[in-house]
Amino acid sequence: MRNHRLALLAASFLLAALPATAQSGAELRFVLRSEPKTFDPMLVDDEASETIRYLTGGVLIRVNRKTQALEPELGVSWKVSEGGKKISFRVREGLSFSDGTPFTAEDVAFTMQKLMDPELHSPTGDSFRSSQGQVRVTAPDPRNVVIEFPSAVAGLERLFDQVAIVSSHSPKKEAAVLGPFAIAEYKPGSYVLLRRNSYYWKKDAQGRKLPYLDSIRLDVQQNRDLELLRFKRGEIQLINSLDASYFESLAKEAPAAVRDIGPSLDSEQIWFNQVPSSPIPNYKKKWFRSTSFRLAISEAINRGDLCRVVFSGHARPAVGPVSPANLFWFNKSLEPNPYDPQSALRRLQQDGFRFDGHVLNDPDGHSVEFSVVTNAGNKYREQMAAMIQQDLEQIGVRLNIVTLDFPSLIERISRTFDYELCLLGLVNVDLDPSAQMSVWLSSSSNHQWNPEQKTPATSWEAEIDRLMQAQASTNDQKQRKSYFDQVQKIVWDQQPFIYLVNKNALVAISPALANTSPVVLRPQTFWNIESLYLSNQGRGGDQ
Amino acid sequence: MTRTTSLLSLCLSADYPDRPNVLRTLALEMYSGEILGLIGQSGSGKSTLALAILRLLHLHKGNQRGEIWFQGRNLMGVSEREMRSVRGRELGLVLQSPLSALNPALRIGTQLEEAWRAHVKGSDDAARKAILETLLSVSLPAERSFLRRYSSQLSVGQAQRVIIAMAILHRPSLLIADEPTSALDTITQSEILRLFAQLSRELRMGILYISHDLLSVAALCHRIAILHAGQILECAPPAQIFGAPQHVYTQKLVAALPRGALLDSDGDKVSSVVASHEVEESVKPSVESSIPDQIPSIVR
Amino acid sequence: MKLLRRTAAAFLIAVFIAALFAGVLVPVPYAKQFRDSPNAMPSRIHLLGTDELGRDLFSRLLYGSRISLLLAPAASLLATIIAALVGGVAGYAGGWLERIALGGTDLAMSLPWLFLLLAARAVLPLNLSPAASLLITFALLGFFGWAASARVICAGARGLRDSDFVLQAKACGCSSRRVLLQQVLPNLRPALFAQFLISIPVFILTEANLGILGLGVSEPLPSWGGLLRGLENWSAVQANPARLAPLLLLLVVVSCFQLVLRQEDFAP
Ligand SMILES: Nc1ncnc2c1ncn2[C@@H]1O[C@H](COP(=O)(O)OP(=O)(O)O)[C@@H](O)[C@H]1O
Ligand SMILES: [Mg+2]
Repeated sequence: MRNHRLALLAASFLLAALPATAQSGAELRFVLRSEPKTFDPMLVDDEASETIRYLTGGVLIRVNRKTQALEPELGVSWKVSEGGKKISFRVREGLSFSDGTPFTAEDVAFTMQKLMDPELHSPTGDSFRSSQGQVRVTAPDPRNVVIEFPSAVAGLERLFDQVAIVSSHSPKKEAAVLGPFAIAEYKPGSYVLLRRNSYYWKKDAQGRKLPYLDSIRLDVQQNRDLELLRFKRGEIQLINSLDASYFESLAKEAPAAVRDIGPSLDSEQIWFNQVPSSPIPNYKKKWFRSTSFRLAISEAINRGDLCRVVFSGHARPAVGPVSPANLFWFNKSLEPNPYDPQSALRRLQQDGFRFDGHVLNDPDGHSVEFSVVTNAGNKYREQMAAMIQQDLEQIGVRLNIVTLDFPSLIERISRTFDYELCLLGLVNVDLDPSAQMSVWLSSSSNHQWNPEQKTPATSWEAEIDRLMQAQASTNDQKQRKSYFDQVQKIVWDQQPFIYLVNKNALVAISPALANTSPVVLRPQTFWNIESLYLSNQGRGGDQ
Repeated sequence: MTRTTSLLSLCLSADYPDRPNVLRTLALEMYSGEILGLIGQSGSGKSTLALAILRLLHLHKGNQRGEIWFQGRNLMGVSEREMRSVRGRELGLVLQSPLSALNPALRIGTQLEEAWRAHVKGSDDAARKAILETLLSVSLPAERSFLRRYSSQLSVGQAQRVIIAMAILHRPSLLIADEPTSALDTITQSEILRLFAQLSRELRMGILYISHDLLSVAALCHRIAILHAGQILECAPPAQIFGAPQHVYTQKLVAALPRGALLDSDGDKVSSVVASHEVEESVKPSVESSIPDQIPSIVR
Repeated sequence: MKLLRRTAAAFLIAVFIAALFAGVLVPVPYAKQFRDSPNAMPSRIHLLGTDELGRDLFSRLLYGSRISLLLAPAASLLATIIAALVGGVAGYAGGWLERIALGGTDLAMSLPWLFLLLAARAVLPLNLSPAASLLITFALLGFFGWAASARVICAGARGLRDSDFVLQAKACGCSSRRVLLQQVLPNLRPALFAQFLISIPVFILTEANLGILGLGVSEPLPSWGGLLRGLENWSAVQANPARLAPLLLLLVVVSCFQLVLRQEDFAP
């Protein structure tokens, strides 16, 4: 333990020091878990492509993955006006793309125009589209650019974190980049080699040109077991997200390499089917639409045990739709639902349910039995379901576990509505609540427990609708936060989603890699790629 | 009853898909109680004829046309259902290789029972009784322990007797034996030949005895038919076949026989067979007297 | 050799009895989660240790044996009977029947059966008791698992079709149906028996794989298949080698089956 701390101390010392021990010609290696679908930054829609875009693209504004605050990059300064409809940037001067083509405001204008072209069907562009209408982009001079949207875009500035600027007149088109690395080689199905961009503009405190690394080799490798094996062999230096069981197995062999960074943005939750037209018995619909029934079920689940047993402690009981890892937006006044089967039973008994020590019966004499569906093959969900099964047995509720292949599951929860309880996870990439708009609006098809409502079925859903619209229509962050805090409170009171756990972000980093500072936001380990370097010492382990 | 009655009268053509005209309007007539020897080289169509009479040629993918008059009806005209009731009950068949004709997975008793039950619905006792009786008549031990054996536990001679027992279980009026002895050693061969003579005598059934060996059938048969290239060249009592063959082919066949054997069979024993072939009643003593000493002499 | 057979038989009987009386023998209920000791090592209380959720592996193994030892042979029997009928009829009758049947087995073997199973699960009601899901799972296995065996049987029956004893039986006036049932099928007994034996472990493993598709025996019931899935967690196996017990038991039981029920006994 003491040794461990010493090593940490040494690491923090290195962090401050010059990378004197950096290997020259150092190459960082890690894997892409799927083939990148595109190298065009505007068309990115998958994780592998996003990784390449993050490593090669230059953006106007960067979300600092550690502080979660906005930082100027290519945009030296900016100003949002007209209630979030208009943004004007002043861009950095004297920069060049990786092929030497100079960078000006004209490139920004070109990028935005192309991005917002409806013909392109850019997923990144879609997040800017709040309503129909033309986006107007003007670059009055080489240093300034003004972008006007037809209506207000909530959380406008942080969307620019995804917009890699492309050159308006470089012959290499989008292969000319402004980020720290540029694609040097690509062998489909095998690897992508990135080489440092010698035109990259950032320098470290000592005036050295960044990035320190010479190249990054990204091997396409789907198999997680092989990824782990290669890490153990020292062939790769990073694993960006580890499963709890892999984490535990690696922790035994190389405790210095694994890091649990605490709760991530991702959550696991269950929800009851509240669709009025669903093909389930009416008496069950009555249970599922009762707030106190949902609360009772929520209280009967031992979240602490789920974290401890299923995730070997690498998870935290979840509170609601926002993880505590989301520093700004999380409603700090809320707590996870406590495990309290007695309180659950009291609630149910108040509603006329009867518990004979064995079976729970509803007021009409139906024994309480329902099924939970989840996707087959996910070990953690299957285990959570088995634990919830036992938890609910204590209050006389019989839970049947049904694991389905993903297409059948989606068919059931979004088309036929032939299910009772569903266990799934939610992957949150974005910190901003506007990204969750489609989940909360009662008219939306992603409003899982009762989608596409003509008018809100309940008053609390109507209230959520109102608050979500309100937060979207202002650019005052404080105001938005207060609206979204209320949404979180309503969800906590009503439990349409019963949140179970937030999984911890688990990563593996080779001790040879210096200056690392893993965070919960993607890309967890290499968000500060330009200041990472490989040291000889760390690898030798003689420290 | 001295009048000869026709048992079988046929005129058949048969083809195989890749081999037409194996039988070419072959005509043949048999009388009740008669032993007719059918002689032909291998490949001449003997087995084809045997199967065709039972209308089983389709099992070998063959096709047959013509008429088969048997006990007053044309078998070519009856339904498969009726035909099935004729097979085994009125027409028996004994195949060449006794070991392959017995089912290796079944006990002897089971197979005999199957053959019995194909035509008789009745108690197990009745079946058992009929089977044991038939075993006796083919000189096999009529014991339960024997019935429990598998074919692999039998000698070839015993196996052939089992097959014969199976074929005569229902006392058919015509038994077709397709080279029943060619897979047997000489001693067993003569025993089986004697058995046929005895059966014909005791049960008075007609036997179509198929063989490629002219000599071996000479003493047994009342008449001999010579089959060549799908046609009957001539059909006559042995004395005539051996003494005055009409057809060139028959002459060659006889000429090719070993000298001594021919001389031997030229004696009065052959003629006694020849003399007595006509009538059922008279078959009995003559065959009885001829076979025992006749066969060894042929074998020699 | 005889001793070996006896030992195998005794072992099988012991396993069957242990599985039958699992309720009496097991120290703790198979579904009880000892949440304070997940992944425990073997001990006095947990003879084989516990699984990820702290459930006693010994209890689960015994109950799982009960399920798998009873149902996998039953499914295998069902599959073998179907294979015998389809393959036997097709091979014996030949001609278009054989072509249709072989086409059918090709179809059954090539693509749709996984999807059929999925579709079957999709149309089943959600609130099935674990026991019902179990029966359905193995019935489906039996129903869909016959094709490969049917091909083998068909080939065997085709060989017998032209045999002399079939001809002899027909000449005795036996009907086609009786010839098939009484003459042909008994000769296929060794092949059928082999198919039956081969199918048992295959079905046990298929059940395990079905679990991945959401069709296996549902929680909290244990089965050998479910227990074998536990071996996926290799680090847990390394930590507690007793977790290999289900695999060992499967191997030993299957080989005991083969020792006790030898093929020769089914051929004369
Ligand atoms: N199943 C068959 N398919 C085609 N040709 C056959 C078949 N069986 C026999 N043959 C042919 O028909 C002819 C007569 O055969 P067969 O009746 O078996 O002769 P035998 O019994 O006199 O030796 C032979 O030339 C043989 O090659
Ligand atoms: Mg022949």
